[in-house]
Amino acid sequence: MPLLDVHNLSKIYEGKVSIHALNHIRFAVEKGEFVGIMGPSGSGKTTLLNVIATIDEPTSGQVMISGRDPNLLGRKEKALFRRKELGFVFQHFNLLDTLTVEENVVLPLTLSGSSVAEMEKRLAEVASRLDIAGLLHKRTYEISGGQMQRVAIARAMIHRPSLILADEPTGSLDSKASEEVMGLLAEVNEAEGATVLMVTHDAVAASFCHRVIFIKDGRFYSEMYRGSSRAAFFQNIIDMLSLLGGAGHDLSAIRL
Amino acid sequence: MTFRQFAYRNVTRSKRKYAAYFVSSAFSVMIFFLCALFIFHPVISGALILDTAAKTMMMAEGIIYVFCSLFVLVSVGSFLQSRKLEFGILLMHGMTKQQLNKMVFLENMLIGGSAIFTGTLLGMLLGKLFLMIGSAFLGIPPLDFHLSWQAPVLTIISFMLLFVLISLCTFFFIGNESPRGMFQGGRRGDAEPHVHRWQALLSALLLLGGYVLAVLTTATTVEVMMFPVVAITVVGTYLFYTQLSLYVVEQLRRFRHFYWQRMRIITFSGLSYRWKDNGRMFFMVTIVSAVSFTSVGVFASIHTLSRELKLDYPAAVGYVAKGGAASSTAVQDLDGIESELKQLGLTYDTLSIPVKYADVAAQSGPDHTERLPLMAYSDYRLALQYAGFDSSEPPLEGHDGLVMIGSQRDRSLISERVKATYTLEQGTDIREVGYTQHVPVAEYLLPELDGRGGGDFSGLVVSDSLYNTIVPVQQDIYYGFYMEDFPRTVGIASSLADGGKVAYEHRANYAVVVSGTLFEIQRTLYSTMLFASLLVGTVFFIAAGSFLYFRLYMDLEHDRFQYSALSKMGFTDQELDRSVTQQLALMFFVPVLLAILHSVFAFIALQRLFYLSIAAETGAVLAGYLAAQGIYFFFIRSRYLRNLKKNLL
Repeated sequence: MPLLDVHNLSKIYEGKVSIHALNHIRFAVEKGEFVGIMGPSGSGKTTLLNVIATIDEPTSGQVMISGRDPNLLGRKEKALFRRKELGFVFQHFNLLDTLTVEENVVLPLTLSGSSVAEMEKRLAEVASRLDIAGLLHKRTYEISGGQMQRVAIARAMIHRPSLILADEPTGSLDSKASEEVMGLLAEVNEAEGATVLMVTHDAVAASFCHRVIFIKDGRFYSEMYRGSSRAAFFQNIIDMLSLLGGAGHDLSAIRL
Repeated sequence: MTFRQFAYRNVTRSKRKYAAYFVSSAFSVMIFFLCALFIFHPVISGALILDTAAKTMMMAEGIIYVFCSLFVLVSVGSFLQSRKLEFGILLMHGMTKQQLNKMVFLENMLIGGSAIFTGTLLGMLLGKLFLMIGSAFLGIPPLDFHLSWQAPVLTIISFMLLFVLISLCTFFFIGNESPRGMFQGGRRGDAEPHVHRWQALLSALLLLGGYVLAVLTTATTVEVMMFPVVAITVVGTYLFYTQLSLYVVEQLRRFRHFYWQRMRIITFSGLSYRWKDNGRMFFMVTIVSAVSFTSVGVFASIHTLSRELKLDYPAAVGYVAKGGAASSTAVQDLDGIESELKQLGLTYDTLSIPVKYADVAAQSGPDHTERLPLMAYSDYRLALQYAGFDSSEPPLEGHDGLVMIGSQRDRSLISERVKATYTLEQGTDIREVGYTQHVPVAEYLLPELDGRGGGDFSGLVVSDSLYNTIVPVQQDIYYGFYMEDFPRTVGIASSLADGGKVAYEHRANYAVVVSGTLFEIQRTLYSTMLFASLLVGTVFFIAAGSFLYFRLYMDLEHDRFQYSALSKMGFTDQELDRSVTQQLALMFFVPVLLAILHSVFAFIALQRLFYLSIAAETGAVLAGYLAAQGIYFFFIRSRYLRNLKKNLL
């Protein structure tokens, strides 16, 4: 059974002009996979992620996470589901500026009421894994963007969720920090067996995935597996993106 | 879009931001106008006894005005602070400093002008109601609505002046930084609050010290202690908000077993930030509320006053003929009083008591009384009997004497006073052995004993046998008119004393006290003060609410962002509600509770000045404020939560 099963998912935003944001999308993600979702602006990437994250409801179709359909749950149960089963990495980090780095990282565990000893143990583990042990007592405004995203990844994985959802994790980072963060995310996926679903614009970031799904105008367009060479995969992604079209600014500068 | 339109839209399109400030300003203007209406009312300004009322209201006007200036200055300052980013953008696009000043000036005047307009208009609408309430407070027949030209003119001119001056002041606040600095102005919480352990400790010590001193104050020291205690408490309160409370939270954050518990981590960290940003505001709110609680509480205790007055003025009308018994003026005066009482249809008993004066040759103790008033024990008993006081004092013997208290207030001074032994010129000794339980002769009617502790101790009661041996250097006669319904004697003997009393120390050859008139004057004074302090208190209360509103409004954007992230991470609605409620509750109630605590200790100290308990009245006042704050809290909480959740998921 796949960990994530997206089945015939459609989303229509009602309004004066109704928008068909997602149109019969179907794909599956196996446990331990690292999957990227790409597509031009307005292709429905973020809607897809939001529906999977249970913060938006599908118009039709189904999302199964570990064999359960969270959209059948009530509002409160959904929140509890997210807390337990999902981890989030955002473009703008969304670290709480009132908390220290370590407090931000342990937040999911405190919310679910773990013991302090357990929290400290897990904190030490993720901190060494993501190389943020030296930052733990700093405040969020004292560290760089790359460091913030590492902290956010630590926060997303500390409670060992079934699925980590990343929304443009490199969108606010420079290229060096991007590579570093993606390397760590890939490593987390590799070593911890964490399943990661990532929406991105960035071909470099996408090249770290095992597989990239391309969507356009809310429909499944194509998908691509990495194979052995990341450089070749990157080139293929670039080619696919130019084929997909969309506004020019969607593409990162072409790196040949 | 003209420049004026631009300024106008800047204001009208951020209505929410200015809402509380506008309401609070308009309310202050309204109260100011209403007070002016009252002061310049022909009935009030014409009457003699209501003169004090007008003066008190004038003082209230002054306080409201000064407070309003501060309030407007602080509010405008924080509005400007919050708009740095906007100003930065305008300056980047080539707005000159002058234009920026002009824009801010126009905006301020727009809000100020409409607040003045709204306040005055509302004042006119509510004028009649206010005059009715005011006259009910003062116990006078309802006043007609009369719009004197002075009231609106005073209100409009003084508030115009206030807003113009403060708007001009803002020129110094803004636009002096580079646009780049302004762009960063919007960023929040760049530094961890600086907390010093010793300052936190000092705060605890100061508050504790202030409270202990307040409890230990006695009636004699209350005047001396007041200012240092107030100063200590004010400093302590300031440090409480800026240091102690942050220190406590910081210490709590170290206990992971406590702090890393579900939403506590969110609640406490959020709280410590709000606290740091708002410490000064909380300080102001606390002090302002404490002052208004205390004054309202004290003036609400008028009812105890009339009970107290009866104890202090045993005879409704007291008259002392100095020096001679039957001087013709005394007879004339007494006849006049009697006929006036009869005219009012009052029944009364009369009593006359001779009071002998003896020169003192020497006296033990620190004081030096030159001439000692003496009263016989049997006359003293008679005076108590006429006044309807019960007493269990045993007859006096030998050379013992009881010191007459001039008012019940003196009781609190007894412990501090040294009992003296007098040697009279004629050779007789008299020893003070104690104090009378009741007031036999009201103060002002007998000369006071010399005393550095203060008080109105007025001579001695001695045994009849000793009294008979005294050769007087002067003999006065006290006449008392006793009756139950003393307040009805208001206005009696106005030809002798128009303020209700002529003290013994006065040069006239008589002394007189009319308790009805004194009661009326005091009652008018206290009820106006209560009325005025209620009004001022309400202005304070609304202003404090406006500060809170603005701060929350400023935090809203940040909180919205934070809670939407939390909600994505699996924060349930209930948890969000609870966390926000806890934070808001602490912000709303900690200042008020601290203010209540302050005023409770102030009451404990002030209680020394009152013979009867003022606890019931002050309790009612505090409960009322707490209830009002509670309502405001629930109102703001529901609005805040709704706004917070608006674009959540």
